[in-house]
Amino acid sequence: MSQADPARASAPSEYGERLLLEARQDADINQAVLQPMFRTGPAFWVLVTILGTLVAWGLYAWGYLVYWGIGASGKNRPVYWTLFITTFVFWVGISHAGTMISAVLRLLKADWRRPITRGAEAMTAFALMMAGLYPLVHLGRVWKFYWMIPYPNNRLMWPNFQSPLMWDMVAIFTYLIGSTLYLYLALIPDMAMARDYTGGWRYRLYRALALGWRGTEGEWHKLHRALSIFSVAIIPIFLSVHSIVSWDFAVTIQPRWHSTIFAPYFVVGAIYSGLSALASILVLVRRGMRLQEFLRAEHFNALGRLVMVAGMAWTYFWFAGFLVEWYGNEPVTRELIRQEVAGHLAPLFYLQMSANLIPVGLLAFKKVRTTPVLLLAATLLVNVGMFTERALIVIGSLQRNDIPFNWGTYRPTWVEVSIVVMTFAGFALLYTLFSRIVPYVPVWEIKEGRLRYTMRRIGRLLVPTAAEIE
Amino acid sequence: MAQDVKSSVEAAPRWAMIVDLDRCTGCQACVVACHAENNIPVVNEQQAAYGRWMHWIIVDRYWEGEYPNVKARFTPVMCQQCAQAPCEPVCPVFATYHNREGLNAQVYNRCIGTRFCGNACPYKVRAYNWFEPEFPSPLTEQLNPDVTVRSRGIMEKCTFCIQRIRRAELDAKAQGRQLADGEVQPACVQTCPPSALVFGDLNDPNSQVSQLARSHRSFRLLDELGTDPAVIYLKGGETNVPG
Amino acid sequence: MTGAGVLTGMSPTVRRVALEPFVRPPEEELPGRATWYASTCRQCPAGCGILVRVINGRARKIEGNPAHPLNRGKLCARGQAGLQVLYNPDRLQNAVRQSGGRGSRQFKPIQWTEAIDQLSSAFKSLGAPSRVAFLGGLMSDHLLTLVSGFLKALGAPPPVLFDLHTALEGRAEATDMARRWFGDSQAQGVPLPLYDIARAQVVFSFGANLLETWMSPVAQGRDYGLMRQGQAGGRGLLVQFEPRLSATAASADEWIPVKPGTEGLIALGLGRIIVEDNLGQVGSHSEHAHLYRNVSVTDVADASGVSVETLRRLANAFAAADHSVAIPGGYLAGLGNGSQTMDAVLALNVLMRRLGREGGVFLPHQVPAEPFASSASVSSFAQVTDLIERLKAGQVDILLIHGCNPLYELPQWTGIAEAIRRVPLVISFSSCVDETAVLADLVLPDHTYLEGWGYQVVSPGADRPAVSGQQPVVRPLYDTRATGDVMLALAARIGGQVAQALPWSDEVAFLEQNSAQLLGTSSGIYDAHTPAGFWSLWRQHGGWWTEKPLRDEPEAIGTPTGPLQVSPAVFAGDAQQHPFHLIPYPSLALSDGRGANLPWLQEMPDPMTTASWNTWVELNPATARSLQVDNNDVVKVVSPYGELQAPVVVYPGIRPDAVAIPIGQGHRDYGRFAQGRGSNPLALLAPPSEQARGSWLPWGATRVRIERTGRKQELARVESLDGAGREKLR
Repeated sequence: MSQADPARASAPSEYGERLLLEARQDADINQAVLQPMFRTGPAFWVLVTILGTLVAWGLYAWGYLVYWGIGASGKNRPVYWTLFITTFVFWVGISHAGTMISAVLRLLKADWRRPITRGAEAMTAFALMMAGLYPLVHLGRVWKFYWMIPYPNNRLMWPNFQSPLMWDMVAIFTYLIGSTLYLYLALIPDMAMARDYTGGWRYRLYRALALGWRGTEGEWHKLHRALSIFSVAIIPIFLSVHSIVSWDFAVTIQPRWHSTIFAPYFVVGAIYSGLSALASILVLVRRGMRLQEFLRAEHFNALGRLVMVAGMAWTYFWFAGFLVEWYGNEPVTRELIRQEVAGHLAPLFYLQMSANLIPVGLLAFKKVRTTPVLLLAATLLVNVGMFTERALIVIGSLQRNDIPFNWGTYRPTWVEVSIVVMTFAGFALLYTLFSRIVPYVPVWEIKEGRLRYTMRRIGRLLVPTAAEIE
Repeated sequence: MAQDVKSSVEAAPRWAMIVDLDRCTGCQACVVACHAENNIPVVNEQQAAYGRWMHWIIVDRYWEGEYPNVKARFTPVMCQQCAQAPCEPVCPVFATYHNREGLNAQVYNRCIGTRFCGNACPYKVRAYNWFEPEFPSPLTEQLNPDVTVRSRGIMEKCTFCIQRIRRAELDAKAQGRQLADGEVQPACVQTCPPSALVFGDLNDPNSQVSQLARSHRSFRLLDELGTDPAVIYLKGGETNVPG
Repeated sequence: MTGAGVLTGMSPTVRRVALEPFVRPPEEELPGRATWYASTCRQCPAGCGILVRVINGRARKIEGNPAHPLNRGKLCARGQAGLQVLYNPDRLQNAVRQSGGRGSRQFKPIQWTEAIDQLSSAFKSLGAPSRVAFLGGLMSDHLLTLVSGFLKALGAPPPVLFDLHTALEGRAEATDMARRWFGDSQAQGVPLPLYDIARAQVVFSFGANLLETWMSPVAQGRDYGLMRQGQAGGRGLLVQFEPRLSATAASADEWIPVKPGTEGLIALGLGRIIVEDNLGQVGSHSEHAHLYRNVSVTDVADASGVSVETLRRLANAFAAADHSVAIPGGYLAGLGNGSQTMDAVLALNVLMRRLGREGGVFLPHQVPAEPFASSASVSSFAQVTDLIERLKAGQVDILLIHGCNPLYELPQWTGIAEAIRRVPLVISFSSCVDETAVLADLVLPDHTYLEGWGYQVVSPGADRPAVSGQQPVVRPLYDTRATGDVMLALAARIGGQVAQALPWSDEVAFLEQNSAQLLGTSSGIYDAHTPAGFWSLWRQHGGWWTEKPLRDEPEAIGTPTGPLQVSPAVFAGDAQQHPFHLIPYPSLALSDGRGANLPWLQEMPDPMTTASWNTWVELNPATARSLQVDNNDVVKVVSPYGELQAPVVVYPGIRPDAVAIPIGQGHRDYGRFAQGRGSNPLALLAPPSEQARGSWLPWGATRVRIERTGRKQELARVESLDGAGREKLR
């Protein structure tokens, strides 16, 4: 634990905004992080109840679906996949932000990631859990789901690894395990810290989870090594998962799905969507848990810029894909574009485009990035747009195919909507409970970050200097 | 009595169907015969209006021109049993696969209902059991014991009446002879009054399907997609018969 | 399944009852292996031969009988759906009495003995034998013979045969036409003409929906296939003349959208051109020139809307072919000038000397045994009207109804409902409770055709004389009884002349005796030494027919000596108030409504609209646009007599001044699949005039108007409306 740096106390106010230059005692920081965990006011319980009810209703809807059959949803011939797969892709997309923040930014040594890595990784883990429900939900005979698992059996039946759904299973499973481990690894020192400051059932829980961490140099060294390895290892997974999910569509010959650009397009879209979701969540959590001290303008500024860049990348990939589709003039694709631009899909299409493009412009302004409400609005808009984009790709495309006699329509039912809402509520519920059980802000990372920075006087200037600490 | 039993070294048949569009009258006998033979459930009006009917064969009807110079054409479409079937690689559990005789086989009790195959099929010939099929008693008495009755959540489609193919092959084998051309007839082929449907072995150059496949009228649906279907259509409006 | 009790009669004092478990099934059954029984399909009057696959005592699949000369192994959609007639969940399982009174729809099962008791006492207490009436519809020939014999012996009037399907086919009118042209006016039993489509090079069909519902669609469909791709001389040509493009017109090379009522004029015009231009290679037309003396081609063109060039082109095509045939169809019977039109069409065949020539017109050869000499001919509508008058006047005490559903099939203005209500005792033999059975006192359900015996002389004929036999393929499911047996039991109870006229113990004995009359006929496909042997072969083959094709050449002895004429057709409703011709047509799936209780047929897509499960109104696209309606908009169709509401199908294949509505839905009863859906377009039919009321059924002679309702109703279609008209994407 470092001493309070007197130089810091007299740091000019502009540097005072920065978290890592803050003059604070370590013990204070610990308390500041732990306090919100114990504060469960009425608002908290109301929220948990509402979310719990939505989840329970969604589970009932799922039971209804399993009992009566997939016909309880709005699917038909030819629109065999609808909101379930849309939301599945959406959740997988959301999950990319966590890895982006914690792994990529860790490797790039971007310090502004420090207070948000855990929130991001938690988002990844929970988003993947929600995503992982959908391959089960959409099964016609979910009670036979285990046939997709390659286990030795006396009929020598193996799953078909040529099928993109199997790649999905492997990829998501791997990603889920990987990101959960990553989340946990980075959690260990804070579990130890929490263990030392709490009593009762919390103490027992944190003691178990802390794995006897004492904070010795050897342990820190091993932790850093492990995190470095993970950071590198999880990047290919994070790139491949959404590519694989996109190949669910791209490897078919369904017009508009059969596009070679889908893999990078989806990955970039996932980053865009995930980072936006992260920003939205951080704004809400900062308010709800009163973490204003840890989540400051600098973080949102950086995150907002990253979202903007991701949005620009998304726009580029969207245009690259659209241009080729439009130019190629393949008849069914042309029909789908016509529907999007001027037909029955037009409202959704224009919603998609405006909701995805307007935030890119908005986020160019520092005012937007650093004002929580505006940032929340912009990033929520992004996710509305991204969900619509997934819906248009999955549901819109299936309404048209090579034989016009077989074109179709789609009308969602309460079962589908309830289950989609269930995953949103379930995600929020898990996240809310998580935030009360686990320190939301990674304290050790912040402290470690603060070690990097010292205020030095050079001439008349007081400047922050950074040191390599790894 | 010793007979020449067909050697296993010989090629397996490649089952194919000819659809002569000049003969098809759109009478829907094939549609109902298929229901009767394959235990296909009837959904009700609301479900049928929402595209959830279960016909394994439908007769597409196309209008051409405008009144008064308007024509209508019929095109029966059933599973094309593609040699390069786009529905086969995407099934995660091998519920649909290509068998030795060129059929795209559907294993009902292996299907877990992901419906990926339904999306992948460009002809949209696959039918899904959205709900539990209903056969109000005593309609259950009519069910064909040679064909599985499917439950909800299972994808199904035309099988070229594989149960009839199997039965004929087993009978022929038991009698120590080969199958004759035209001996195996799926339900639709058997009932079609104008004989617009012909079924047989494409690997036998003398079979009726092989001969008709060589017609200048022949074409295949969505050939450009590279699915290599085993259903060959004969264009209407021109004569095939020399003379 | 339980067993059967066996009594052994060793001695009066020894009675043993042994229960035989079902593990000892009947001899011919192997578990898991099918037994095939030959019988006859009764879904329409054609009488196609079927083989039914029976496994473990249950009928699983119906196929056409390959040996049967009419359908040669092929079968239509309705024939395939016959299994659902047998296993229909809404079948009556017993003889029932409508315990809550007529119309209550409360039925209580009664014993057959009780029913026959009640019937026989009713017969015995008849005031006069003429106070019995039998209204029959689609009835096997054997039953008709029994019933006719019964009534004749009783001294009662003969049965009146009417059902909507045969009315829509124009069977009575076609029979009259054959009688007029090929027999003298008193000749009975001149059969329906045969049109040799299979070997025709040119077929002109005037409203004959030969590929959907008219006469013998399976045989005609088979012939069509041969005409197209099975003739060595090249592909045949089909031209369809009708105001609404049916599936037959869809398969035709050309569809002439005829102004309703002018079909006969067109036929006359064609004949006139052939005579004028001396077309064809059949020699001089002077013999028949007088028929077309009063025809002006330009007048025909004006009246019908078909240009003179088109008429000329068609006449040339018809005459140039060596084998061509003109077919007068069922649609013509619904028009006021129906018989004149049919005459005009048949005259073309006479003119081009197609009678008895390959690809032309034939008459079936009679089956060489008296019971099968002719097939049942339906009654004229005038006879139906007479019966209704008698009923209304209280002249009938017992009314028996079999094989038809007059409450559904007759328009209201015939007064059929009140007429039936006047009769003290009404018996229905229907298998399901239909609209007519709801007005009956007793319903004595007949076996369904797969459970029953009989025979049917094939009519219209095949290429050779044929009697199609019917036998049960399964044991009767329920406690139903063959109507023939009921009549025989009744005859026995009544005694006297009636019992003498019908001495058989049951139907089967009657059939055996009749079939045996063909014993020794060398021309048949089989023969036997004994009647029992013959009867066995009869059942195995599914009837009797000759080995070789055998048809008669018709002689046009009834050719008119004066000019042919076709009066303008009269339509009910004035053209201002009711601008559209109404074309109600028998739906391929439901026919005249009898198929509505079969789920396979309800879900079967209509070939032209791909719609199912409901009624719709077909509008020409321009008409729809001018009315500002589109697909699935509900419109009100109003005639001078009634109205109905149904969703629109925008239909390119119909004249702008016509609308078409399929018949078959709109049942109030008749089972769960039939009732409460769609509408019955017969409600719209208006009698054309007071004087003509009752003399013919003017089902094609009503005009209507269309009104928007602003509502929408989604029709169950197989076709995607979004994709409609986009087939040429590439």
